[in-house]
Amino acid sequence: MSELLRTESMSVVYGGLHAVNGLDLRVDEGRLVGLIGPNGAGKTSFIDGISGFTRTQGAIHFRGKRVDREPAHRRARLGLGRTWQSLELFEDLTVRENLQVGAERQTVGGFLLDLVRPGRRRDQSDVDWALDVLGIAHLADRLPTEISHGQRKLVGAGRTLAARPALICMDEPAAGLDTTESEQFGRRLRRIVEAGVSILLVDHDMGLVMGVCDEVYVIEFGTKIAHGTPAQVVADERVRAAYLGTKAGI
Amino acid sequence: MTRPRTPAARLRTAVPALVVVALLAVILAKGDYRANFFSGGGFALGALIAAIALGVVVTYRGSGVVNLAGAAVAMYAAYVYADLRAHGDLFLPPLPNPLAPIEGLVHLAGDDGFSVPHWPTSVSFGAAMGFWPALVLALVFCALFGLVLHVAVFRPLRHAPVLAKVVASVGVLLFLQAVVVRRFSTTTQVVGPLPFVDKTQVDLGLFKITQEQLFVVCLVLVLAVALWALFQRSRFGLAVRAAAENEKGATVLGFSADRLAAATWVLSTVVTGLLGIFVASVNSSVDPNTMPALIVPAVTAALVGGFTSFGWTTLAAFGLGMQVSLVTFLGANESWFPKAGGLPVPGVDLLVPLVVIVAVLALRGQSLPTRGVLGPGRLPFSPTARPWALRYGGPGLAVVALIPGVFFLSPAMRDGLTNTLTGIVICLSIVVLTGFIGQISLAQTSFAGLSAYTVASLSTHHGWPFPLPILAGAAVAVVAGVLVALPALRVRGVHLAIATLAFAVAVDKVVFANSWINGGFDGATVTTPALIRSQDTATHHILGVTIGDGTQPNPLTLVFCLVVVVALGYLVANLRRSLTGRQMLAIRSNERAAAAAGVNVAAVKVLAFGVSAFIAGVGGAVIAYRTGNVTPDKFLYDKSLMFFAFAYLGGIASVSGAVTGGLLVGGGLGFTVLNRVFGLPDEFVLLLGGLGLVVTAVLNPEGVAGKARTDLLALQRRFRPPTLADPPTLADPPTPADPPTPADVATPTTGPVASTEPTASTEPTASTEPATTVPPAASVPPAASTPVAAATPAASGSPAGSRVSGSAGAAPAVAGEAR
Repeated sequence: MSELLRTESMSVVYGGLHAVNGLDLRVDEGRLVGLIGPNGAGKTSFIDGISGFTRTQGAIHFRGKRVDREPAHRRARLGLGRTWQSLELFEDLTVRENLQVGAERQTVGGFLLDLVRPGRRRDQSDVDWALDVLGIAHLADRLPTEISHGQRKLVGAGRTLAARPALICMDEPAAGLDTTESEQFGRRLRRIVEAGVSILLVDHDMGLVMGVCDEVYVIEFGTKIAHGTPAQVVADERVRAAYLGTKAGI
Repeated sequence: MTRPRTPAARLRTAVPALVVVALLAVILAKGDYRANFFSGGGFALGALIAAIALGVVVTYRGSGVVNLAGAAVAMYAAYVYADLRAHGDLFLPPLPNPLAPIEGLVHLAGDDGFSVPHWPTSVSFGAAMGFWPALVLALVFCALFGLVLHVAVFRPLRHAPVLAKVVASVGVLLFLQAVVVRRFSTTTQVVGPLPFVDKTQVDLGLFKITQEQLFVVCLVLVLAVALWALFQRSRFGLAVRAAAENEKGATVLGFSADRLAAATWVLSTVVTGLLGIFVASVNSSVDPNTMPALIVPAVTAALVGGFTSFGWTTLAAFGLGMQVSLVTFLGANESWFPKAGGLPVPGVDLLVPLVVIVAVLALRGQSLPTRGVLGPGRLPFSPTARPWALRYGGPGLAVVALIPGVFFLSPAMRDGLTNTLTGIVICLSIVVLTGFIGQISLAQTSFAGLSAYTVASLSTHHGWPFPLPILAGAAVAVVAGVLVALPALRVRGVHLAIATLAFAVAVDKVVFANSWINGGFDGATVTTPALIRSQDTATHHILGVTIGDGTQPNPLTLVFCLVVVVALGYLVANLRRSLTGRQMLAIRSNERAAAAAGVNVAAVKVLAFGVSAFIAGVGGAVIAYRTGNVTPDKFLYDKSLMFFAFAYLGGIASVSGAVTGGLLVGGGLGFTVLNRVFGLPDEFVLLLGGLGLVVTAVLNPEGVAGKARTDLLALQRRFRPPTLADPPTLADPPTPADPPTPADVATPTTGPVASTEPTASTEPTASTEPATTVPPAASVPPAASTPVAAATPAASGSPAGSRVSGSAGAAPAVAGEAR
């Protein structure tokens, strides 16, 4: 299967602290890859690094192109989408408008035309598709402040999805969801993957990660300590020691 | 707060330090440079700037407000002191009299002798006062004023958007200036000398300085050290620092965050007032304009000190004060100094703070204080124009303004309406920049002024025909706007406001006060077509209707302004509805998330500055054509402050807000009505403006239009049954395309997952099978791995195959059964 994202000894350094330390990771097309690790392991720094929100060392290849010096918005347009741990929705825009910001690309001509005919018909198929996949079509005209936390999470994912990315990096999408919601969310993730979008899933919800992922990376102190299918990872001694700890032994 | 030092960060500190050291070396090396840099006047000015800057830092640390009225407090204190010394009167701010409208109505009815009781305007202490009683009384007044500022203005605003705080401090600034102008007019007031020092020269070796200047300098240095000690070494300082981190921190230490903030307000007004009094005494005079404008170098100095360090702030303030006389000397004596029309370019000393601000902000980027400063805070909601508003709003406004404007209104009211229309244009430019994309610019009338002077020059000296200069003027404004946008790429919130304010003050002097450009005393003439010339008194007969009553202003001027307003109103409304508008609001809401959604944040910001400056530029061109000659006073920085404040009050995020703001602006329809109908004198109108600004900012931090909208929504909710009829998203039954994930299967560890699954009918095979075959202790690996392991080998086929197997493999038993 073809490679989508590959990092080569990627590091994120804050002052003297190596939040991510020489990490090699690969996501192939059509895969749901999990990234887990204890608090402070560098998961969010990793996502910030590959999506262009913090400076990185080492190489990042995306769709065969080296992107580690590209600004964040250009990586997004290449198809490298991400979601945020803390929602970060556009509070002043409706759900549909939130998704439109993700889906639409502006041109100079488009800007000038906008000043005269702002309401002209635009292709909404990507937005409608994203709303549909996530089951939030009925919320399209609401404001983010008017919907529940779980629904807001879906809108955050939908905004990224509407851009039809090749890969979505999801930063703790299930945090704050109750177990039913989380399980429902897992099903939606699989539907997204079925639609041809790969996912890099960072989450603490072990049930979710182990349940839906095709393969899992485990990192600790910014370095990889295990990689494999959920079964292999869970069986790994170092993982049990570092992360699952006594929990797995209950 | 210690930050790890990277080589880049060291370089960023080293380079400006080297530049400063090199400049100092040059100054010290040349005798006449040294004599003009280390001059008594320079030191005295530096001391005043330092005192204002220290006050700004104290207030910021205590309450998180960047107080743009800080310098006005110094001016006000000096006036209070001067009046006590000269006449023994403590003058009181002329507060609005609630009975005044009654009097106005009675006067309107024709009874001019009627009078209602008024507030006392001053408290007399008999004869002229001595130095000490006057000083003490003036400082007590300052302390009380600081307390009032805290209790009445900034405490209610402590959780308000940063913008509301900026607006409130602008309101205080305008109010203080208006009070002083009302009581003492704009002429300079004489201030008596200090009793214990005089103008004897003291030789300090390197330079000479008068006794009183030396005294003021030493006083500021002592104050700076005292403030440092208070904040770093006392329990009070510890508590203030704790409260700045979070309010609970101070509470834990046994301090009330509220009282701490009050104490810092009092402290800052007293320090600022004290130096205002002393420097006015040293200069022997005070006027309403010079001191308040020192807020720009003062805030610059505070910025150098990161709004925390008293030492760096004081140093920078002295540097900024001392360079003024050096620059003046250079302009007069050096051939390389830039000249305009044979004279040295004015206002170069004002470019220095601008350069320092831009350098500090660019170099320090994000290392500046984060508390409430880095963003404009939550801005008022920006509604999309409703279809009916788009269809009927513009024509409605046109009809409402046009018919009375052309046929019925008196000349004065026509003037007011025209001022409102030009005000709406400037407010629209602020709506785009602040309302849509969340950037603060306090230089909008500078853009307008640049355009107006371009129009004057092109129409008069180059013979360009009527509409063309408008476009050229707007283009010049756009260039300036894009220049100002460059710092905006690195900074936001109040810092951006400061940078743009410094730009506005510099443009005032370098461009508008430049006799080479401004046309000297008479202003720059604009060649206006007779049809729309304001002074034209001809009457026109169009389609059998007579337009014009033979008096100025020409009603067709108003029509011209109206056409522009409606066109630009549609432009802004369309922008809000468009993709660009959505991108702007996305950036306003969250820059990082906008970038993650693929929005080119830098490009859209520059675009917004360009559009905003374009609108302001068209506004400036309209003002130029409307008045027929361009004078600087219409475009000075304080006008930018006023427009910003009125735009905010009207409602900064919508076209209707801009229209409301236009009604409120000084000289606009609202004030003309107050002035003409209720007989309020002009200065009073300004005073009410400042006070109204503060009151409205406190009462409606979202602006008038925002408040009206919130009220309307609340009303709608009341009359609408609550709707909880949303289909519950998270309870839709699984379909074959939406099978339960293996998470369902991993029952033993994830526990409640399976048990809360509402659709258990298809579940038994999936959930019971692994649970029965595997002992609970070791259940995770096999239970989770069974399906996924099945999926993995299959996924190695074609992409399509992998997708199918992904879903099928996720829950083989269920999927199999469902099919």
